[in-house]
Amino acid sequence: MAVKTVHVHLKVNGKDVELDVPPNERLIDTLRYRLKLTSVKEGCGRGECGICIVLVNGLPRHSCLTLTAAIDGAEITTLEGLAPEGKIHAIQMAFLETRGVQCGYCTQGFIMMAKALLDKTLDPSYEEIKEWLSSTLCRCGSYHYYFAAVKLAAKYIKEGKIYFDEEEVKKKYYMRVVGR
Amino acid sequence: MSKPEYVDIVEKVFSETKEKKTEEFRVIGKRIVKYDAIPKILGKPIFTADLLNLFKDVVFVYSVRSKYAHAWIKKIDVSDALKYPGVITVLTAKDIPGVNDVGYVIPDQPLLADKKVRMIGDTVALIVADSLENARDAADLVSVEYEPLDVILDPLKIVEWGGLREKEHTLIHDERGSDVLSRYKIRRGDIKKAEQEAAVVVENEYRTPMQEHAYLETEAAIAVPEPDGSVTVYAKTQCPFDTRKAVATVLGLPFNKVRIIAPPLGGGFGGAEDVGNEIAAKAALAAIKLGRPAAVLYTREESIIGHSKRHPMIARYKHYARRDGTLLGVQAEIILNTGAYASLGPFVGWRAVVHSTGPYKVPNAHVDLAVVYTNMVYAGAFRGFGNPQVTFAVERQMDLLAEELGIDPVELRLKNILRNGDRTVHGQLLDHGVGLEEAIRKAVEAAKWYEKRRLYSQQKGLLRRGIGIAVFYHGNSIGAEGADFSTATIIIQRDGSIVFRTGLTDFGQGNIQGLINIAAEILGVPPSYFKVEWPDTASTPDAGPTVASRSTVMGGNATLVAAYKLRQRLNKLAGEILGCDPDDIVIEAPKVYCRSDPNLSMTWQELVEQSFWKGVPIQEFGYFRAPPAEWDEETGQGAPYMHYTFGAIISDVEVDIETGVVRVKEAVTAYDIGRVINRVGADHHAIGGYIQGMGYALMEDIYHAPDGRVYNTNLSTYHIPTGLDIPDKIKPIWVEAGFKRGPFGAKGLGEPSIVAIAPSIANAIAHALGGGFKVNKDVNKHPLTPDYVYSIIKKHGLIKKYKG
Ligand code: FES
Ligand code: FES
Repeated sequence: MAVKTVHVHLKVNGKDVELDVPPNERLIDTLRYRLKLTSVKEGCGRGECGICIVLVNGLPRHSCLTLTAAIDGAEITTLEGLAPEGKIHAIQMAFLETRGVQCGYCTQGFIMMAKALLDKTLDPSYEEIKEWLSSTLCRCGSYHYYFAAVKLAAKYIKEGKIYFDEEEVKKKYYMRVVGR
Repeated sequence: MSKPEYVDIVEKVFSETKEKKTEEFRVIGKRIVKYDAIPKILGKPIFTADLLNLFKDVVFVYSVRSKYAHAWIKKIDVSDALKYPGVITVLTAKDIPGVNDVGYVIPDQPLLADKKVRMIGDTVALIVADSLENARDAADLVSVEYEPLDVILDPLKIVEWGGLREKEHTLIHDERGSDVLSRYKIRRGDIKKAEQEAAVVVENEYRTPMQEHAYLETEAAIAVPEPDGSVTVYAKTQCPFDTRKAVATVLGLPFNKVRIIAPPLGGGFGGAEDVGNEIAAKAALAAIKLGRPAAVLYTREESIIGHSKRHPMIARYKHYARRDGTLLGVQAEIILNTGAYASLGPFVGWRAVVHSTGPYKVPNAHVDLAVVYTNMVYAGAFRGFGNPQVTFAVERQMDLLAEELGIDPVELRLKNILRNGDRTVHGQLLDHGVGLEEAIRKAVEAAKWYEKRRLYSQQKGLLRRGIGIAVFYHGNSIGAEGADFSTATIIIQRDGSIVFRTGLTDFGQGNIQGLINIAAEILGVPPSYFKVEWPDTASTPDAGPTVASRSTVMGGNATLVAAYKLRQRLNKLAGEILGCDPDDIVIEAPKVYCRSDPNLSMTWQELVEQSFWKGVPIQEFGYFRAPPAEWDEETGQGAPYMHYTFGAIISDVEVDIETGVVRVKEAVTAYDIGRVINRVGADHHAIGGYIQGMGYALMEDIYHAPDGRVYNTNLSTYHIPTGLDIPDKIKPIWVEAGFKRGPFGAKGLGEPSIVAIAPSIANAIAHALGGGFKVNKDVNKHPLTPDYVYSIIKKHGLIKKYKG
């Protein structure tokens, strides 16, 4: 059936995009398959796993439960947009250094929740971190590592270390021995 | 018969390094940032569904599922579905050019059901459409005429206690003439004698649930037709070579015309074995029929009803012991429910029977086990593979025995565990590398066992703490299940960088990084010199399946052999060039020099370049095969596995007597894995395995309605632990007792990491409940949900008891 489309204007990771989307298109599909932002992952499609979370106008939102047509004019941030080209954001850096990534399928959901939390406060308590991150599931069981990552990220940001050079990070960390 | 060269190499490296401490290695046992960590935190498109953007003109394949859990199929009419907009074709069994079967171990599972459906997740047709949405919508228009049959969910309707004889019932697999899939037994000593001599007998029935893997990445496959009539499939699969076989069977193609590429998995845990074959076959069938790329993307609901689960178990155990706690014998009847299809059920059943008496000296044993079909969603491989079920029963029995005898549970275990020089219940001599006692002692110390056990036994009030221990062993690799081999390829490039290829897949816990660590240690290069290629059946030799905790041991040995042979050639060449003995060569890339005179030196790159000029091949293929396992079907005697991983888990819980809610406060895991190869990955297994085991213990079960439908088909009804459920501290402890046929002495850890979690928690809960033997005995099944725990509390009047 020929479906009427809706014209929307979005600002995605700082770039303006104009799209014509069917009214029932989910934001997750717009991001993953129209804009090729595949960091955004689907785990349930029902708001239950939290790994599809992106920031819409600065607030965390399940992209699987959001219709693209309904958020005309919104600003969206995905993992790809956390840092400028060639840089890695402090939160990503902290997730790398605390070594919690296993299969990594959930990681972006945790990073985006961490971003939302740290935008609110740079002194989150352990309980607060747990609370915020509890909306995202990790079947590999990396929760403890991720909680520690948020603490470390807060420290970096407070110290003004917001971006790290991607090439340098790769050189320093790609399969490097970091401890006993 | 002389030993194969590869066994010699592995044993030689072990004996040369067994005394070494972690500090003395460059890579082995160290914490390393794994090769895939950076792409993963950057959100790079590496998972199967992410690759969809690379293909044009893709068609989407949606599975029309059965409406009944057990029925004859009378007619399938797809004409209405064909008319739906966007639908290109609808495929049914008659469109399959090869054999309509994806059964993993035996051919009992059609890809597309045509005669009979046996579970709610069976696929009867495939809608192929221009969008997933249209394909899904059209699915409702396929009309299937069914003749419903009795739905059997309870395995006790199939077999009965007292010999596990098959009862009269409506056959689910009428083509087999029986719904008992397989039977196993152990006969050792004389159980009658144990019965006569025993001062105490402890007897109970146990039940364990059907656990869902709930990996966050649901199933995905993309098949691309090739111009020469072959097909390439990117699929979420743990075992690309098994997937290739399944696709080739369904399409009627030779293996070399099917190419399977396995991108990293967003979690596997055993669940991505047979369903990987199924989705790849579905996508490939559509791609070949239409000559267009075809994608299969499961929703969570399809994933839950469409892939295998952990076998639920019902078992009756009798333990016989002397007054001093010495075990005299174990008698057991065990039933595993494999649901609608065999999947890996026969092997799960075998592994269960092998471990059915726990890591103890058991002089007399009489165990019968049956794996039976029902109309539940089918069960197959899941981390632990039959062992968590029986270990729950055995370790609960040990605690009951301890209570009955008034002996501390740790002491009772220490009295009976396997040590170096002991024989297992199968008569297998464990002549070295048994680190169970050390694991128990270290766990006991770290958990402050004696102190807490005493303290908690005296507590008052309605919020009660309890501490529990469970121990286990777990046979490494696949033992008598099949040809137990693995392979790896190392190719040094002309610039000195290195390509690593293996057909073993990476589900995220770090197995492949472990292989890199092994190769880097032997070659003398930093791990960062390596690039890991995706498993690809066209360019990696058959490495066997990625199952059974075999990556580190089997893949590790194959990698070690390849690296060792390369290293020997490089040493020889460097020796010739530098003028010293090959044994004198030190490689600390980028430096290469003679130990006796470090001034005689060159660079790694020069050495690599020279090998091209001097005709020294610098690519190597490593192979390792485990010694064939021995198993006597009639007695269960022999040597079922090459070796065993051992472990002890201690859990500290709090039980709210007024609500039945259980919280795990702290946990210690101590595993003897021979040698730690990849410390980050080992910790991930210990902690992640604990959390998954905690879910198994406290909240996870797939619930079927009486008609065979699944009640909890999504993550809001099938609960897995969240960040708020976990204990604040899970402490991993490593025991490195070594094993002469493991790479640097290493043993497997993937599956062991879940085996004894549930019983350790159950034992802690029983301790917290207090109230004596009768209460203890009622903690006999899991998940230990609040309502179940509360039912025990209520039955025994514990609120009143502790309020006063
Ligand atoms: S995919 Fe959106 S919450 Fe799971
Ligand atoms: S790392 Fe695998 S789900 Fe979190």
